[in-house]
Amino acid sequence: MTRVIEVPTHFDDRSFDTFAAGFGEWPPSEKVLVDARATQWASPYGLIAILTAGQALAEAKREKPLLTVPTSDEVKRYWARAGFFNQAAELFELHGKVPRSGATGPSDVLLDVTPVRASEDVHGVVHKISEGASRILHGELRLEMKATLRFSMALSEACQNIVEHAGTGGWVAVQAYTFRRRLGRRVVVIAVSDAGVGFRRSLESAHAKRFGDRWGDGAALEAALIQNVSRFRDPGRGQGLAFIKRFLDQWEGKISIRSGTARLSIVPPWDEDVPMSDHLPYFPGAQVQIIIPAQEEKSR
Amino acid sequence: MIYTIRMGLLLREAVSAPYRNLVTRPTGAAVRTRIEATLANTQCLTALLDFSDIELVDLSCADEVVAKLLLTVRTAYFVVLQGLREDHHEAIDHVLRHHRLAVAAVPPNSHAPRLLGWVAPDAREAFACVSESGPLDVTGLSRDLGWSVARSREALDELTVHRLVRPFGDLYYPLPTA
Repeated sequence: MTRVIEVPTHFDDRSFDTFAAGFGEWPPSEKVLVDARATQWASPYGLIAILTAGQALAEAKREKPLLTVPTSDEVKRYWARAGFFNQAAELFELHGKVPRSGATGPSDVLLDVTPVRASEDVHGVVHKISEGASRILHGELRLEMKATLRFSMALSEACQNIVEHAGTGGWVAVQAYTFRRRLGRRVVVIAVSDAGVGFRRSLESAHAKRFGDRWGDGAALEAALIQNVSRFRDPGRGQGLAFIKRFLDQWEGKISIRSGTARLSIVPPWDEDVPMSDHLPYFPGAQVQIIIPAQEEKSR
Repeated sequence: MIYTIRMGLLLREAVSAPYRNLVTRPTGAAVRTRIEATLANTQCLTALLDFSDIELVDLSCADEVVAKLLLTVRTAYFVVLQGLREDHHEAIDHVLRHHRLAVAAVPPNSHAPRLLGWVAPDAREAFACVSESGPLDVTGLSRDLGWSVARSREALDELTVHRLVRPFGDLYYPLPTA
C-alpha cells in the first residue's frame, strides 16, 4: 500500500499542518508518495519541509518515498532555480519531468535550498548570503545598512541550532517575496528545518524536571524561545535566539518555531497568528521561520 | 609590551578557507585555542586582538572567542580589542554583558579605548578618567571625579579585577593600546 500525501496548493507555514497530518502515525508504515502535482506555490518553509520529510523517512529506514513534481511548468522552473530538485533527488524517487536548474537562481532567492550538516556549512551559508542580503534588505526592505550583518548573524545562529541540537542534518533557504494578503509589503523569509530530535528531546534531560507534568513540545519551545535555555550547561549558551528576538522586535519581524506537535511564535502587530499552538499533527525535528518585513516610512 | 594578534589570519588557519566571518562555536573555540597558544609563547602581558579583516562576528563566536578568553586568561593577560566595527561591538557587548565581563576596545583612528560589556557605572566612569588622564592613584581619581576615596578605591578595584587597568604601586595605568 502507498500513503499519498498531497502538498497543499499554496504551501507555507499556514498550510504546513495539513501536510504534516497526511503522514498519520510517524513514521508511516506504508510507502509514501508526496504529491505536488497541484501545487501552485511553495514558500522556502514549504520546500524544505518536503525535504525534511524525505530525510526523516530515510533515517527511519523506510522505503524511498516518491515525489510527483508540480504540473505547472512555471512552478517547476521556480523550484528548480531555488535548488529544490537537486536536493530532493537524493531523498525521493522523482516522478515527472524536472527542468534543469539554471546557473543562477531568481533574484529574490537569496539562498538556494542548502543542506546544513556541519559548522563548515554555516560558514558557506553566511559567506553566500552576504552579497544578496544587502541588496534586498537595504535596497528593497529599507532596513538600515547594519541590518545586513544582524540578518547574517540571525541566519548563522538559526543554522547552528541544527548542527548543535538536531543530531542530524537539515536545510536552510532564504527568499524575498511579497506578503500580499497578510501584510501588503515585501518580506525576507529565512526558513530552517531539520529532521532531528526536536526541542523536547534536546532539552529534556536538563529542563523537563522543573516543568513537571507540563513538559512537552510546547513547554520545550517556551523554554528555548522565551526563557533562552539551552541543553548545555555552558552559561554562554542560549543567547542566539535571545538576540534574534531583540532585533526582530526592532524591525517588527516574526519568528515561529514548530517542533513535534507544537508551534510557538513571537507575533508582531501586523500578523494575526496565535502565539502558541499545541496538539498539532506530529512532524519530525524542528522548523524555524523568521520573517523580516519592509520598513514603513514612519519607522525609517 | 603588546602582542598584536590578527584575527583574520587565525580564522583562515582555523577553517582552512578564505572566509572572513567569525561564525560558529567550533570555529570560535579553534581560534581561541590558537590565541591561547600564541600568548603562551610570548613574554607580553597585553594581547591586542585585531579584528580589522573580519567581516562578521556572530554571538556564538563572540562567546567562544572573547568571553571565554577573558574567563580563561583572567589572571594572566590584559586583552584589548581593535579594528571592531559597530556590529562587532554589538555582538561582543551582548555576550560580555551576559557573563558580566568587560573588555577595552580601541575605535578606529583612536587610542582612547571604550568599554564593551558590563561593569558598574562608577567603574565605567573611572575607566574613562584613567584612559584620558593617564596613571592615577586613588586620591587622584577622587580629585578628578569629585568622589570619596572609598568610592574611587572601589571603582579602581573593580577595574583591576576585570583587568581593565594595570595597577603598579599606588598607581593605576591605562591599558597600552599602541
